[in-house]
Amino acid sequence: MKLDFSPQDESFRQEIANWLANNLCGEFDIICGRGGPGDQHSLVEERKAWEQKLYKGGWTCIGWPTEFGGRDASIEQQVIFNEEYARAQGPGRAGHIGETLVGPTLIAFGSQSQKDRYLPGILKGETFWCQGYSEPNAGSDLANVKTKAVFDETSQQWQITGQKVWTSLARESDYCFVIARTDLKSTGHRGLGFFLVPIDQPGVTVRPIKQLTGTSEFNEVFFDNAECLDDDLVGESGDGWKVAMGLLGFERGVSTLGQQMLFQNELDEVISLAKTNGSARNPQIRQRIAEAHIGLKIMRYNSLRILSSEQGDGQLQKEAMIYKLYWSSWHRNLGKLAMDVMGPEGELLQGKSYELNSLQSMYLFSRADTIYGGTNQIQRNLIAERALGMPREPRG
Amino acid sequence: MNFMSSEDQIAYRDSVATMLAAEVTAESIRARWDSPKGIDEKLIEQLNELGLNTMLVPESCGGLGLSELDFILLAQECGRAALPEPLVDNVLVANAMLADVACSDLVSAKQCEDLLSEVAAGKVMLACGHWINPFINMAHIHQWLLLSHGDEVHLVESSAVELLPQRSADPSRRIFKVNWQPKAETRIANGEAGAGLWRRALNRGALGVAAQLIGLSESILHRAVGFTADREQFGRPVGSNQAVKHLLADCAVSLEFAKPVMARAAYAVGSNSSDADCAVSHAKVAASRAAQLCARHGMQVHGAMGYTWECDLHIWMKRCWAIDKTWGDAGFHKNRIHERLLDPSTLMGAGHTFTSATSKTYNSQEGAA
Repeated sequence: MKLDFSPQDESFRQEIANWLANNLCGEFDIICGRGGPGDQHSLVEERKAWEQKLYKGGWTCIGWPTEFGGRDASIEQQVIFNEEYARAQGPGRAGHIGETLVGPTLIAFGSQSQKDRYLPGILKGETFWCQGYSEPNAGSDLANVKTKAVFDETSQQWQITGQKVWTSLARESDYCFVIARTDLKSTGHRGLGFFLVPIDQPGVTVRPIKQLTGTSEFNEVFFDNAECLDDDLVGESGDGWKVAMGLLGFERGVSTLGQQMLFQNELDEVISLAKTNGSARNPQIRQRIAEAHIGLKIMRYNSLRILSSEQGDGQLQKEAMIYKLYWSSWHRNLGKLAMDVMGPEGELLQGKSYELNSLQSMYLFSRADTIYGGTNQIQRNLIAERALGMPREPRG
Repeated sequence: MNFMSSEDQIAYRDSVATMLAAEVTAESIRARWDSPKGIDEKLIEQLNELGLNTMLVPESCGGLGLSELDFILLAQECGRAALPEPLVDNVLVANAMLADVACSDLVSAKQCEDLLSEVAAGKVMLACGHWINPFINMAHIHQWLLLSHGDEVHLVESSAVELLPQRSADPSRRIFKVNWQPKAETRIANGEAGAGLWRRALNRGALGVAAQLIGLSESILHRAVGFTADREQFGRPVGSNQAVKHLLADCAVSLEFAKPVMARAAYAVGSNSSDADCAVSHAKVAASRAAQLCARHGMQVHGAMGYTWECDLHIWMKRCWAIDKTWGDAGFHKNRIHERLLDPSTLMGAGHTFTSATSKTYNSQEGAA
């Protein structure tokens, strides 16, 4: 064990900090601190332009191998990048699904042609992705996917029909990765395929879902004989579940570190408000601020421990299973703390429309944290059944 | 000793509940969000016809002469319906406060009695702007306001003040800040009398919030039970999973344990008991806790649907979140509880469950400073 950064790492920190100081300014001032969870729908064009700026500086996809244009950055360097990026109020990454989910998945499971066609666009901040997993009747029971993919012999293409839901950023994306049933007689996690589907085509309709925050980050995506090249099936036609789960393994990987930096910024905002409005003198609030700090540090050390134990080959590990449950519960409590710190002013909106301030938005959005990506109840079952090896709950 | 409501109380509650169930639907609440005034004026008339307006006004002043204990059951129904009209604050706080002055020997008693008869006739509406609340809900529909300046109570025409509209995260609420200057001619009480009026108003207001939170929570829990019975995953209702059942069972426990606390607080306020402050604070803390839990778990078991604008659940949840901090937040009320517990003159233990006549009266204005 060695719990410090090497001189090389510290000079890397200096490099990214300087670059951000010199580049995240001017036309990009307006996106500072914007576009995070609960605000992903904001300033999308500006944040896409920022992705291209990052690319020109060599700061996209730094964890990817050099042969695909990355820096092959070490875990330590990725940690440093995320820390400095958050410290500089870097905007929510418009390209994060491509960089952290699609890229690693294609590098692990994709064909040479898929790597050649899709990785450069992600690297350059030019193509953007969304995730087509959940369906109206496939939420917690994700394997109940009904969207179907039929291979059309005439056109030599797949035709996809069905509905996905809770799709973040679908309107702003160029492609959606979709799990769909290739074996129409199959049920459960067998007989699925993992497809890379262009959004801008007649067979795809995107409809925004209005959330209780008044905004629409999520969408419904309807596929009506949407076309997908045979070459855009990742792996074989029955491999969909394996690829889909591999991708989720990346989701629980290095991207968690950037998230914790956002949490730190939010906690700092709560503390700063508590000092300003006097609620920091309330002993109950003081205790809860300390608890929040403790929880965040636990998350951070645990993530670093998980990441330093292996380089994230996409396999879901036991330690990673506990993470979603922990951070979502922690964040929801932080939302409650923020409301209590705001006190009776907490119901007050800014502006004329239904415009929430950052803490109100965090409070409401954090109510969804314990639901999306596997509810807390599903997470506890996973921990009990897969990590502890307890008997499986009867299904069906 | 008897914690049960009387037959008359139950019958009155049922008649109001039936009317609210028929008149106040999620759809009609959403319609209010886009309407200019945000309220249903006809409904206010209908409620007046039931005599609600003067429920807590003594018979000698032309009211029904009922008590807080009678009213909390109705306040609970207002919560269950997520009623946007400010009935609870009108009847339980503002009108009752005006009646307190009208029935007193203060020089302003006659003036208040005259206004009270207009309120009783449904000609005008009166709202209470207590110092503990930064906003007045629905101030724009009231012709008269009770406003605080230290311990002084001022009765002011709303046309004589500046109402600054604010937006609430609960679209059913229309909240206002009030910009005004106290004048000698609007003052109806001051000194100890004023402080006493504000203290009673605070207890009534907090009691009203507690009752509404309990009603809101019951409605959320009812919806959550219904949703989890219908929604299927893994080929069976999600409510058949123990993990989901336990969430809602915890809500039920928290809720049921808040109800007798609320009843006890209403009794203490109604009988002007010396431990009313502590009893009300306990009720507010217990009801808030139940409501926060029901809102949290209610949304959790709705899955992503509960996070949408389309799902009616947020009408109830946002009301819970918004009114939770009105009439004193949890910190304020917990302070009032331990102030009393740590006071050496407080008697506890056998024989002191319900009364404690020797305790000194707690000054709530000091407690908030």
